[in-house]
Amino acid sequence: MPARRAAVIGGNRIPFARAHKRYARASNLDMLTATLDGLVARFGLSGERLGEVVAGAVLKHSRDFNLTREAVLGSRLAPSTPAYDIAQACGTGLQATMAVANKIALGQIESGVAGGVDTASDAPIAVNEDLRKVLVALNSARTLGDRVKLVGKLRPGQIVPEIPRNAEPRTGLSMGEHAAITAKEWGVSREAQDELAAASHRNLAAAYERGFFDDLVTPYLGLTRDDNLRPDSSVEALAKLKAVFGKGEDATMTAGNSTPLTDGAALVLLGSDEWAAAHRLPVLAHVVDAETAAVDYVHGRDGLLTAPVFAVPRLLERTGLTLQDFDFYEIHEAFASTVLATTKAWEDPAFAKERLGLDAPLGAIDRSRLNVTGSSLAAGHPFAATGGRIVATLAKLLHEKGPGSRGLISICAAGGQGVVAILEGA
Amino acid sequence: MSLAPLYAKAAVGAVLPGRGTTLPADEVVRDDVLVDRGHVADYARVCGFALSDTLPLTYPHVLGFALQVELMARRTFPLPLPGLVHVRNRIVATRAVDAGELLRIAVHAERFVPHPKGAQVDLVTDVAVEGAPVWSGRSTYLARGATAPAGAIAAAAEELPDVSGEPAAAQWLVPADTGRRYAAVSGDVNPIHLHPLSAKAFGFPTAIAHGMWTAARALASMQGRLDDAMAYDVEFRKPLRLPSRVSLRTRRTADGWDLGVAGKVEHLRATVRTA
Repeated sequence: MPARRAAVIGGNRIPFARAHKRYARASNLDMLTATLDGLVARFGLSGERLGEVVAGAVLKHSRDFNLTREAVLGSRLAPSTPAYDIAQACGTGLQATMAVANKIALGQIESGVAGGVDTASDAPIAVNEDLRKVLVALNSARTLGDRVKLVGKLRPGQIVPEIPRNAEPRTGLSMGEHAAITAKEWGVSREAQDELAAASHRNLAAAYERGFFDDLVTPYLGLTRDDNLRPDSSVEALAKLKAVFGKGEDATMTAGNSTPLTDGAALVLLGSDEWAAAHRLPVLAHVVDAETAAVDYVHGRDGLLTAPVFAVPRLLERTGLTLQDFDFYEIHEAFASTVLATTKAWEDPAFAKERLGLDAPLGAIDRSRLNVTGSSLAAGHPFAATGGRIVATLAKLLHEKGPGSRGLISICAAGGQGVVAILEGA
Repeated sequence: MSLAPLYAKAAVGAVLPGRGTTLPADEVVRDDVLVDRGHVADYARVCGFALSDTLPLTYPHVLGFALQVELMARRTFPLPLPGLVHVRNRIVATRAVDAGELLRIAVHAERFVPHPKGAQVDLVTDVAVEGAPVWSGRSTYLARGATAPAGAIAAAAEELPDVSGEPAAAQWLVPADTGRRYAAVSGDVNPIHLHPLSAKAFGFPTAIAHGMWTAARALASMQGRLDDAMAYDVEFRKPLRLPSRVSLRTRRTADGWDLGVAGKVEHLRATVRTA
């Protein structure tokens, strides 16, 4: 146990927007800066030097190389606040939170901001690889003759740009196709997925209605709520959608029970209890512990998005807790089937024994405690922003519940990785 | 948003008889103006502002400029629009303006006075939200060789502080198409900004940057360091020829910043003060 635990003081995000819509013109830097300035305004940090700001983006332009530092320089924080970028696909926001929390726990810093941003609209498009090679050579060519020779290598086909794909480099499969394999393996039904999706929309809408997000979200570019949210979503309406991932009659994954491409940013303010007290800021929760796992989804047996299945038992063992010891579960809804396959794996005795090396499975979770204010299916999922959204949301839920309440976060990520963490209400 | 037709009208009007000798007394007004967020995004990109929910401080100038041109394009306006030189600009904002607010924009002309080199006039843009003033801009133009009604010669404007002794805070490579890009978002299609050839026709060796682009770009570089309520006073000096490599110099003062943009010659001096 560390000497002290980092406190989650609060968070700020901008509403998440479906790609190519409201935030189509906004860059990662625009959104991250706006979100940081919103956080600064909410907690009165103008001109303040913080310990550090850590954030990242999954889809990054080469111009975004020092993204987080640039956002700090453009914000109202003191320019003497250091910053760095990290990236762990969809785990970026939660991993950034842990990076800051750990430094606070060690006493290296007293305060920090963590999170992430992503835009699927303003995605980096690179020049064709063949063209890039010619251009690089042209840049270093010394003689006119060399240049002329290189220009002769230009071909019309090289004009076709490289557009980033939501696919795993080693398997060539999209994330949805990977998830469909896992869904089939665990026998996750279409009905169960649609129910989870409808619940996500219902819960998010209800949370907005009761003002839960009033101090977590700042409007951006005229948007005040996540525009993917459909408060009137129903299992019946979702059942009408065509399957988009997986093949054949038994394909179950639709646009309704998968997250759409989304733009947005989310940040969390962390600090020591002393720092929070000195700044007269509330402590919502404390960071207890975290674990990151990875699976061999390429040549091994595990699904791309199943690493949290392995991370959670390791975290529970270290903290001496059981899966049932939590008041809230925040399991990132990359796809409804991912959440359901994860919980099925934790309930499966054979899997526990053979794959997790446990005598008994972790068991079932109380579904009424799962994603109680909605999750990515309703809010959307700007990859690196999801961790910050979840940490701030859970910290507030735990604060409402009271001291000693516990919450578990589980986020799956591309590359077969998963980040999980435990927060405790303050 | 092209003001080209109005510009053409003003250019024709400039050589026709019938020009007035006094300023029009009325205002040109637009009520319930809702800005186009896409246009704000275009403007922000060209000038270097981040895209946010509040308007860049210099953005309402663009809204007012269209009305300024409308006023100046009238046959009776005493000064010819082509050839007017923007010499000074002062903006005072009482608060940040949200891009979703309905604006009342009113433009009028005042202080039409003789100047040692001709005549000068102020075009004033006032922006209000629900009856309360939130933003005001005063653009001072000089018409070389023109005559104003007899009276006191314009008092020489107070020179803004010189920051040329400061180290450069930033170096800008200002591309040749800067004038065309700013013209596209501001509607200021004065030929001196668009192309070396059209600029030559007006006696400039190359196209020159819009003063308000330079002013906006300088302010954008202060992102995160400024209050919402502020006064931005800009003195335009020598034209910034395109393309150019220039330096931004800044100096912190007790209640704001002094700014300067200069290459081989000084282009702009400015002050930002908490209002």
